[in-house]
Amino acid sequence: MKILFACLISCLALGALGAQSSAELLARIDERRTIPDMSFDMRITSFESGKQKDYNVLRGDVKVTEAGNSVLVYFSEPASVKGRKMLMDGRVVYYLFPRTRNPIRLSPLQVLLGETSNGDVARTGFAKDYDVSAFSEELREGADCYLFKLDAKADRKDSTYAKVDFWVEKVSLRPVYAEFSAADGKLLKKAVYEDYRTVEGKDLPYTLDITDGDDPQKHTTMVYLGIGRKSLPETAFRRDYLDEWTPELPR
Amino acid sequence: MSRILLACIAVVLALASVQRAQGLEVEADLDVFPAASLAQEGGGQSMQVEATRIVAQSAISHKQALGEGLTLSGTAWLDADSLPSDSPLAVPATKLDMNARLLEFGLEWEALPGALILDLGKKIIHPSSGFFKTPLNMLSRPAVGDVPSSTAASVGKWEEGWVGADLTWLVGKLTVANFFSPRLDWGQGADQVLQYISQQQSEYDDLLRLGLHIGEVDLRLLALGSADSIGGADPNLHIQTGAGLDVNVGDSLTVRAEISAADSTERLYVVDATRMTSQAESVAWAPRALLGFTWAEGGAKDLSVMAEYYYNGLGFVGSDYDRLMQYSGNSLAAAGRNVAGGQGVADILDQYGSFEAARHYGFARVAGNIEDDLTAQLWVVTNLQDLSCMTGAVLTYTRDAWAVSGALVDAWGGSNTEEGLSPLLWRLDLELSLFF
Repeated sequence: MKILFACLISCLALGALGAQSSAELLARIDERRTIPDMSFDMRITSFESGKQKDYNVLRGDVKVTEAGNSVLVYFSEPASVKGRKMLMDGRVVYYLFPRTRNPIRLSPLQVLLGETSNGDVARTGFAKDYDVSAFSEELREGADCYLFKLDAKADRKDSTYAKVDFWVEKVSLRPVYAEFSAADGKLLKKAVYEDYRTVEGKDLPYTLDITDGDDPQKHTTMVYLGIGRKSLPETAFRRDYLDEWTPELPR
Repeated sequence: MSRILLACIAVVLALASVQRAQGLEVEADLDVFPAASLAQEGGGQSMQVEATRIVAQSAISHKQALGEGLTLSGTAWLDADSLPSDSPLAVPATKLDMNARLLEFGLEWEALPGALILDLGKKIIHPSSGFFKTPLNMLSRPAVGDVPSSTAASVGKWEEGWVGADLTWLVGKLTVANFFSPRLDWGQGADQVLQYISQQQSEYDDLLRLGLHIGEVDLRLLALGSADSIGGADPNLHIQTGAGLDVNVGDSLTVRAEISAADSTERLYVVDATRMTSQAESVAWAPRALLGFTWAEGGAKDLSVMAEYYYNGLGFVGSDYDRLMQYSGNSLAAAGRNVAGGQGVADILDQYGSFEAARHYGFARVAGNIEDDLTAQLWVVTNLQDLSCMTGAVLTYTRDAWAVSGALVDAWGGSNTEEGLSPLLWRLDLELSLFF
């Protein structure tokens, strides 16, 4: 009887949460891991069949605004790409080679580092770009989780990932796992969030492991080597500033 | 050749040790160009001449913060070239021609961080988005060292800047920038140090650039005013204007379009092809325009296609173009016969550089990954009037600190076509790049 009562309460609570605030909960989860003016040092390593294929060490600054996220990226390793700079401003990407002064405009699909896209590097949350189409609870690897089924918002329908299934641990509100799919439902990527640490009062996963949806032998790890806070004006996240921008290690 | 290679290796080792000690960014390239050219011999007969050109280049860059918002930065370039004329008929007596120049050097002050920036010194001004041609690059110089391009890129790998002052103001989605460059005119007898700092600047120039980011569109408007000094050969103010835009279409396609025109441009045209006479004329507001796209699928590492159409308002069409081809053929033959008519004949075909004689050109490139570290690209530039073309095939193998590439460039065309008249038959480029 007690179990039945507990289940009933849970269902009612979940139903109320689903109806009222699954979107708010998603926004709260985003907010818990978003530093509006963040600087970072990150290593992206891609593997195939257990062997390292290539790697990049990136340094950058992130600006989170109502309009979206903008990210400045500097390639510090390997030597063959050292000095390259990139600005990701929504779906627009600019690329600047060392000793040149004309940022080249790229399409989002031209900017892939291993299995990661610019969206993966720039993403600090889902609430801005996705609507919650379904919300439930699920046990995942022994932990009680919320499961958000997300659909890209109407003005983001042409984004690479039209659908996301997103698991968040209930107790800690930490994202643990996500599956990214195309509009036709084809699984494109799986992501595991790990190694949480507290930085600037936020709860951040230091490691993101991304696996190819087609070929599980292909996977890429994004590991933060350092995270800090650095405030740059919005105009610094413009094409015309990319050449002037001087990257710094996070403090 | 062994002397050149030893010299190159010594330079590279020196650069590596300097880089480790000072934290400089260094890139060094060693290019070997076996090439076959057509030379004219007595009696007007063509003769195929083969030669190998070796070029060792390196660029050293550094950026040093001097204080809050104040930085000093610069790039120095140097090369050793065994055949700077690029002609097997003109081999330098010393066997090795050495050059060095500052590509950029300047002081940058961010008066308002991220909003108001002042640059003083030598700076590259490159507003164009074009690859094959760059109509919006109103203040630009040819590739340093005159090293031939194996990718058909309009701008050399290492660009050289202009000496001047640039003020940039970023507000909201708008950028306003103004670059002023003074006249730097010194004679050949001037201090040789000046030649290492900058090439001459024959005019006073003022370039105003407006940039606007609307939605996902980048719009650029430019106006350049140029004037010689008072009492100079041409005291009038000359104007150039231009506009360009870049936009993404979906996740795979970027599109670019740009146009520029000058109030007057001097050009030579053929009066009589048989007598090989030419005359100068001034052309008003002849537009140069470029329309192009880049399409990528599955990331640049998998496959990308780039295509550009170039409209050259200064180029010749119809009977003017036919006369130019006939004139160029006659002047080549006359030079081979060493007759008086062949001496001192103006090179009208290349008066503005390669692929500038006709009015319509097309460029296409397909690039992709063969293996993880091995990329391939095929490109073609076509003169759309006589359908002569230049093609290139490039293979590049890249590792963490070095890259090796091989390129084969060919010229194709009949006897009265632009590429058919080009002395180049084919050229190989074997390049080793080292990154420190």
